[in-house]
Amino acid sequence: MKADTSQFPELDKTKFEQRGTDFKLGIPVTNAVTVGNSIAVGFGDGTVRIFTSGESSEPIKAHKGIVLCMSKDGDNILTGGDDGRFLNISLDGKISEIGNFGTRWVDHVAANNGSLVCSSGNIVYLWSPNHKEPKLFEHNSTIGGIAFDTKGRRLAVSRYGGVTLWKKDYSNKWNSSELNWKGSHNKVIFSPDGKYLVTSMQENQLHFWRLKDKIDSAMSGYGAKIKSFAFVDDSKYLATSGAKEAVCWPFDGDGPVGREPICLPYVGNKLVTFVEPFPNENAILTGLSDGSVFLSEIEKASNTIIIRSFTEFEVSAIAVTKDCSHLLIGDMGGNILWTSIWDEEKK
Amino acid sequence: MEETNKQVPVTVLTGFLGAGKTTLLNRILTEQHGKKYAVIVNEFGEQGIDNDLVVDADEEVFEMNNGCICCTVRGDLIRILSGLMKRADKLDAIIVETTGLADPAPVAQTFFVDQDVADRTKLDAIVTVADAVHLSTQLTDHHEAEEQIAFADVVLLNKIDLVDESGLEVVKERIKKINPFAKIINTTKCGVSLNEILNLDAFSLKRVLDVEPDFLTSDHDHEHDDDVTSLSFVSDTPLDMEKFQDWFSKLLQTKGQDILRTKGILDFTGESDRYVFQGVHMLMDASPMGKWPEGKERSSRLVFIGRNLESMNLKEGFENCKSA
Repeated sequence: MKADTSQFPELDKTKFEQRGTDFKLGIPVTNAVTVGNSIAVGFGDGTVRIFTSGESSEPIKAHKGIVLCMSKDGDNILTGGDDGRFLNISLDGKISEIGNFGTRWVDHVAANNGSLVCSSGNIVYLWSPNHKEPKLFEHNSTIGGIAFDTKGRRLAVSRYGGVTLWKKDYSNKWNSSELNWKGSHNKVIFSPDGKYLVTSMQENQLHFWRLKDKIDSAMSGYGAKIKSFAFVDDSKYLATSGAKEAVCWPFDGDGPVGREPICLPYVGNKLVTFVEPFPNENAILTGLSDGSVFLSEIEKASNTIIIRSFTEFEVSAIAVTKDCSHLLIGDMGGNILWTSIWDEEKK
Repeated sequence: MEETNKQVPVTVLTGFLGAGKTTLLNRILTEQHGKKYAVIVNEFGEQGIDNDLVVDADEEVFEMNNGCICCTVRGDLIRILSGLMKRADKLDAIIVETTGLADPAPVAQTFFVDQDVADRTKLDAIVTVADAVHLSTQLTDHHEAEEQIAFADVVLLNKIDLVDESGLEVVKERIKKINPFAKIINTTKCGVSLNEILNLDAFSLKRVLDVEPDFLTSDHDHEHDDDVTSLSFVSDTPLDMEKFQDWFSKLLQTKGQDILRTKGILDFTGESDRYVFQGVHMLMDASPMGKWPEGKERSSRLVFIGRNLESMNLKEGFENCKSA
């Protein structure tokens, strides 16, 4: 039974929810990645869907169980799954297998300039462009995260006890150095300017290294594990989840040591579970544990607007298309909001 | 208690190499139960396990920076359990197989320490498979074997067809001396009904209320000082909450490495609720558990399983907590 309710928009719906399309798929959203003006979404049933303005999105059966991680390689999508497969998926849904590790999960994937990387267990596998066989980089523990720097000459691998930093020399040989800090390190990212490396830890804190002089420090005070963090506005701020406010650390000048973060509060006093920079702006999209999503200017918290009201499920993915025309929000309850950002009439 | 329903129960399967863990796993997976189980196995598995949902893990023990000196967790479990919780279809249970020489403490501590794991899963029980023929030797030679018995909620005493009756009694006595609470199930080829080992809820505070120590008369003689033993105390005199907290927190802080498991039901002066707790080394779950049942005697019961317990002046410490 279907009733046409479109002429009675519910009052509690935001203008983005009224304008956009709400998908109630019931399958946990694990990842979302921007590929040009499309957004690819990974799910907890092993499928991937691609959202493009004006096109329908059909499920692509990629993995057997869970899409554990996603990245992009040019116009293609990279995925790793609990079926041990490392896949390349084109925007029109063609799947090709890059690697297969059997009962070992593919936990992390990344790419830069045609070099493809995944990790399974304690080994990082790197396929250089036009190479069929991967290079193997072994580490002392299971890998918590991998990241290329912008130029693709450095590859950071987080692990128990710190980060292993692999550098490619001009004869294309990879050499490693260690950045040690006690504890287990999970996700790792470079700042876009290449000056800093940041990890989230098993403890409720982040750790950063300034690469030129290896000065390092912890960023703590969080009430929960930090699952999501990202640099905003080139490398001016590091926006972080894990508290009831979006905590934004200043990384301009000499970095965050001895400086206070800007904390953006939200109504409802819920935990921030996801942060995504708004492209080319000093602003972030913040997802909370109740499913609500806000857009805030970091230096002017009063300029905060609500994008999506609550769904009761923690926000697990937010992505914006490259042309900034559309955004997508996904949560652990399998709800997706796909909406244009700007009012069509004002265009 | 709505949250509890959403938590997927996790059963930890321990036991020495050759005791029969893989036999038990294959039984669990092949029995027609219509349930969906994920199995996390280690790379030293004895033989192949045939299931869609087998996950390979390395037993990675991590130290936490939480100020708890003996607090170690299983990093691989945090990663895999968090991943499994993103599955579209709900799992009925997760079974974690550990290697023969594994200490069960880091596995148990993972469920106390990691918030994501604690929110979405719960430690259901530790099931230890023991070889009736070889257990006595293993207990003498390897402290890991003692720990596996000490942490067990259920001991599956396997291969009983290979020992005579008196031999069986000797092994059982040895198990009871280490851990008087574990339920001992005699089996050959791990033939056990699954409802005796899965979904036991053995780590819930409610189950602590069932604790009925009946070994108060047992003598505490043993061959080595580092043998794992248990001690229990009962008091009909109500306890002073402040004194108890003071004594107990200091005890765990200083002796937590030697204290493997604790359980207790406490009657505090001026409190109408029963207080229940259970702990693994230094970590503890505690909560008021409703009113004392009408017409039943109120009393405090306290149980320790660990090493060097006799050196901790536990009796004296407990006596001092009684309200004057």
